[in-house]
Amino acid sequence: MKNSRRLLFRILTVLVLLAIAAAMYVIGRGHTLYFDNTSMEYNGQTIEAPYRIDVYVGGERVAKLKEDERGTCTNIGQKFSMDLEITKEKDDEPVTEHISLKLPFSIDNIVVNLPALLQGLDEDAYYSVFVPLVQEPAEEEPQVDEFGIELTADEESMG
Amino acid sequence: MSANNKQSAAPQKKGGFSLKNLILDNTVPIMFIVICAICIPVSGFSPSYLINEIMTRLGRNSFLILSLLIPIMAGMGLNFGMTLGAMAGEIGLIFVSDWQIWGIPGMILAMIISIPISVALGVLCGKILNQAKGREMVTSYIMSYFINGIYQLVVLYLMGSVIPIIHSSIKLPRGYGIRNTVSLLQMRQKLDELLAVNIKGVRIPVATLIVIALMCLLIVWFRRTKLGQDMRAVGQDMQVAEDAGINVERTRIISIVISTVLAGFGMIIYLQNMGNLSTYSSHSQIGMFCIAALLVGGASVDHASIGNVFLGVILFHTMFIVAPKAGAVITGDSMIGEYFRVFVSYAVITIALVMYETKKRKKKSQAAEQLQADQQAAGADGKGA
Repeated sequence: MKNSRRLLFRILTVLVLLAIAAAMYVIGRGHTLYFDNTSMEYNGQTIEAPYRIDVYVGGERVAKLKEDERGTCTNIGQKFSMDLEITKEKDDEPVTEHISLKLPFSIDNIVVNLPALLQGLDEDAYYSVFVPLVQEPAEEEPQVDEFGIELTADEESMG
Repeated sequence: MSANNKQSAAPQKKGGFSLKNLILDNTVPIMFIVICAICIPVSGFSPSYLINEIMTRLGRNSFLILSLLIPIMAGMGLNFGMTLGAMAGEIGLIFVSDWQIWGIPGMILAMIISIPISVALGVLCGKILNQAKGREMVTSYIMSYFINGIYQLVVLYLMGSVIPIIHSSIKLPRGYGIRNTVSLLQMRQKLDELLAVNIKGVRIPVATLIVIALMCLLIVWFRRTKLGQDMRAVGQDMQVAEDAGINVERTRIISIVISTVLAGFGMIIYLQNMGNLSTYSSHSQIGMFCIAALLVGGASVDHASIGNVFLGVILFHTMFIVAPKAGAVITGDSMIGEYFRVFVSYAVITIALVMYETKKRKKKSQAAEQLQADQQAAGADGKGA
């Protein structure tokens, strides 16, 4: 009886930990967002970029984007909301819009085309995956001696 | 009868307050207080800067050092095997970084991932330490090197090739193995910043301190549980504990498992404060510095309290902060200060161990003298009768 209670308690503990882990996995998923203020073509329609967009997240300005500029911010979780301060033409008064987005769980780096988003187009029009174009240079593994101490260039050449 | 009365009065006299005893019992903390008292004015640091730094280090290190208390309670000495838990915590952080789980949820997930690894390593360590009773410290020290080899095999060769690692930012360019440094930027000081308050330029990481306070309460509560009492009994005398029906070996293994799991959590708290993980070296010195800090706080191999932890962190890290600057001012070379603080941490461990051994031998010889005196008194009584 005591053993079965102990076993039950252990199983319950493991299940609770697994449930917390699963919850943390979803809640804590981080995304890097890239905001583009660029004109684009979508289904034969041209969407013009406004003169300037200021992006505010949690009351803090994270990007100030003129045409063809890109800004970035990070977000934890799949719910994301921001305030956009849009200035259509150079001397226009800015208009503020509050926007909430549901971010795709599986994508780390998301590019959001703000003009397309503001036009109310489909998700596939304003969301894209950010792919870094520049390949990192290969990192050389440090040469170490039998004590694990890194060798200098001279010592390496001496073998 | 009168002889017995005289003998029982003697220890009472010894138990009374004596300045010499106080100094002898607290040699290491007193030494550090003197070092700090000399170095602080020489370094020229402002009080607010010093308090800020100490507060940061208190939050960063206390949890790790608290993890050392339970094995001491079980008579297993200073657990150099806490490095095993630190490695488990690091593995948790590597996975969490790869899965892009950020902030406090990332920390919690890393802690949960570290638990099974810490438990497995703790059981292994505990079983080996049971085979090396009386030599636990040196065994756990060597054990940490052994597991470090396995850790390096896993992290350097299996991660990315056998264990899936997706992100190239943490993978070596060759396609497998983890880079020397893993960025924890999205986790950096998230716990410390939670509920943080600023009092006269001193930032107090309230959430971290709450976690540490809860840990202290847990230790106090644990000491009063059946398992905690068993551990104390095992720590006092294994033979007597065995005779009293306590499963000594199991109790010792549990104490090491608890310490390893807590060290894993402590390492995660430590690294979130640092903001990056040195994959192959973060854990290597952590055991040494935590043990040194605990000893600086006045703990010994067979006795340590929560007070020792906090006093140790404050004194040891004050020395760590001021030594390089003081060294630079006194000698004109800051490297001397750097060497000094590393040298001191090793020296403290050595002094504490030597003092412990000396005290143990002294007690043993006193007990032998006492026994001899008792036997002589009993012989004299027998002749008189």
